[in-house]
Amino acid sequence: MMDKNYWELFFAESEEYLRQINNCLVKLEEDYSQTEALNEIFRLMHTIKGMSATMGFNELAEFSHAIEDLFEALRSGKQKITPDIMDTIFSCIDAFAILLEEIKAKKEISIDVKDYICRIRNIINKREELSEDLSSKGDVTEIDVSPQEVEILGRKIEEGWDIYKLKIKLVSECLMKGARAFLVIVRLKKMGEVIKIVPPEEELKKGNFSIYFVVILATKEEEKVIYDELSQILELEEIKITPFSAVPRKENKIKSPITTSYFKKIQSIRIPVERLDKVMNYVGELSIAKSRLLEVINLKDKSLLEGTVSLIERLISSLQDEVLQLRLLPISYILDAFPRIVRDLVKKSDKPKSVEIEIKGSEIELDRVILDELGDILIHILRNAIDHGIEDEQTREKLGKSRKGKITINVSREKGQVIVEIIDDGKGIDFNEIAKKALEKGIISEKEVTSLDVQKVLDIITMPSFSTSTKVSDISGRGVGLDMVKVKLDALGGRLNFESELGKGTKFIITLPLTLAIVKAMLVELGQETFAIPLMSIRESIKIEGGEIKTIQNIDVIKIRNEIIPLIWLGRELAIKEEEELNNKLSVVVVEGKNKSLGLVVDKIIGEQDIVVKPLGNIGKKVKGFSGATILGNGRVALILDVVNLL
Amino acid sequence: MKKKILVVDDAIFMRNYIRGILHNSNFEVCGEASDAIEAVEKYKQLKPDLVTMDIIMPRIDELDGIGAIKKIIAMDPQAKIIVISAIGEEHLVNEATNQGAKAFLIKPFKPDELIKLLKQIFPD
Repeated sequence: MMDKNYWELFFAESEEYLRQINNCLVKLEEDYSQTEALNEIFRLMHTIKGMSATMGFNELAEFSHAIEDLFEALRSGKQKITPDIMDTIFSCIDAFAILLEEIKAKKEISIDVKDYICRIRNIINKREELSEDLSSKGDVTEIDVSPQEVEILGRKIEEGWDIYKLKIKLVSECLMKGARAFLVIVRLKKMGEVIKIVPPEEELKKGNFSIYFVVILATKEEEKVIYDELSQILELEEIKITPFSAVPRKENKIKSPITTSYFKKIQSIRIPVERLDKVMNYVGELSIAKSRLLEVINLKDKSLLEGTVSLIERLISSLQDEVLQLRLLPISYILDAFPRIVRDLVKKSDKPKSVEIEIKGSEIELDRVILDELGDILIHILRNAIDHGIEDEQTREKLGKSRKGKITINVSREKGQVIVEIIDDGKGIDFNEIAKKALEKGIISEKEVTSLDVQKVLDIITMPSFSTSTKVSDISGRGVGLDMVKVKLDALGGRLNFESELGKGTKFIITLPLTLAIVKAMLVELGQETFAIPLMSIRESIKIEGGEIKTIQNIDVIKIRNEIIPLIWLGRELAIKEEEELNNKLSVVVVEGKNKSLGLVVDKIIGEQDIVVKPLGNIGKKVKGFSGATILGNGRVALILDVVNLL
Repeated sequence: MKKKILVVDDAIFMRNYIRGILHNSNFEVCGEASDAIEAVEKYKQLKPDLVTMDIIMPRIDELDGIGAIKKIIAMDPQAKIIVISAIGEEHLVNEATNQGAKAFLIKPFKPDELIKLLKQIFPD
């Protein structure tokens, strides 16, 4: 009965519903009287419950049943919504998503469903007491960290350590609790640094606790290694290891157990039947055309033959378009998650901030491979905007801005590209501050400080480990943000740009190809070989005289509109030819390399063409400078130049 | 290969008890010691895979169970030592843990408790 088709459909659909629920929750949090959102969540949860029960996922069914009950109580007015209840709901939905993910991946379940259900039942029954086995005094399930500890944690994270929260439960008949717990602590100290223990070590050693204790551990070991090490100790009934994020909390709120990952790899997509029918139609027509071709060949009529070939050509190109369409998904697939993400990020921010988000153009479609990566890229930029861009409410008021900051995500399509703009109305990027910091870190020289332009600033802020925030914060203080964005975009053949006005805000502009499978490219000739250069990375192509080439520090350069551009003799570089003839006019393709423009000298520019990108496979992967290959009309293979990583 | 165990206890009864448990399982008692000094000596000689160490033993030349653990760990930081103790000796167990003892058992313990612990330490 557990057909693979049902399996995939169940998860795809449940994930989709959870996204919708999250968006309803964000709306509900803004305005508790949104009965529509309440009803919607109730309905969605009810559906998930039914699906889960059918699939035989009892935990999911029970969990969703409890959540459904809670919403029934909320929408009937039996229970009023409070901020605490909102937090509980958010954490329950997060836990539910994790549970779903774990079941899907057939992993061991880390979610204590009973505990969550208990919390929900307590709200419904208005009972204050905690679940029975956690209620005795001196027990801790949640942990508060002091600002000093947050700082230590921040430093550790920067140094590449992982932070875990370990909740250890001893067996109830444990005779020497203190010694048992201390054994755990000593083992943990060998695997990293114990940042905090609740209860404190001295109390722990004396056994002054019930059967639970919690440890915050900074370590370079993997979760599994820690777990395996601890499982050697007797009398431990439960070892729960979860990644820990350092958020000081004043109130004793329920937190989600594991930092949720917002995006899942797109593994299956739903395609409208008409689209598949269309593809099938083209395939049908193609096979008819093939039979016709066979007939025409026998007739030996050249004009008929040409007609048939051009028909096939048309059909193939239509089929290609259709198949390409199948790979596309609306960008809303990831953007729908953003209101919730922004809410979480703002909550994590250490200063009181509020941010509203507006999304335009979410119906625009992108290749799913690109979508997979784009989510993470956008989160990094959003984090930056919330952490470094948007000011706190008080500052904004002083500046005469609205208390609430605004982030707009604007998606538009231009020719074969998709442009995503992330606009915030925060404080903008302070070039002077960047310059000062860059100078301190030795990234730029004294001379360069005064001449920073947008391009240079972009280079600096996308460098690994560059962060203008002096304090580490949970949101974007890791210093890995924009450099990651750059690396990921490079891999996708995309580009990052920004515009910024001090005090007004920043706009990051991401340019992406529509698809990775077929790209527009310029074909060039070198000796006997043909190469393809993706049009995305080409700035212009020109013809120059040999005499225009100058030499600076042994590097051949040319000057285009006052800009000095280093030349790369591609033929020599790729070892296709020894010497270049300088008497003729030279063709130069100017491309955007890693940090600067480069002029690639080629023998001949053939022209633009759509090419189908084929991966190089394992052997070719090791060859630097090529990102793939394509098959040309004449059946020969052309390598695609990887401009970004060329030199 | 059977794992070699050195049993340290001043009481013959306890040594026999532990030997009996180990005899019926896949472990080999390679030696026994009745005081801390002998324990350190035997460890040097026999290089056992694991030591069971009674924590309360008569002091000889100022050396007790804790001292023996300290010396053994100093010789071989990877040494695996199980502390055998009794209720009320929690502070001693903590001290032993501090010195590098890997685990502890509380008297009285059943045979399968020791075996379970050994299997956890030697998973294969």
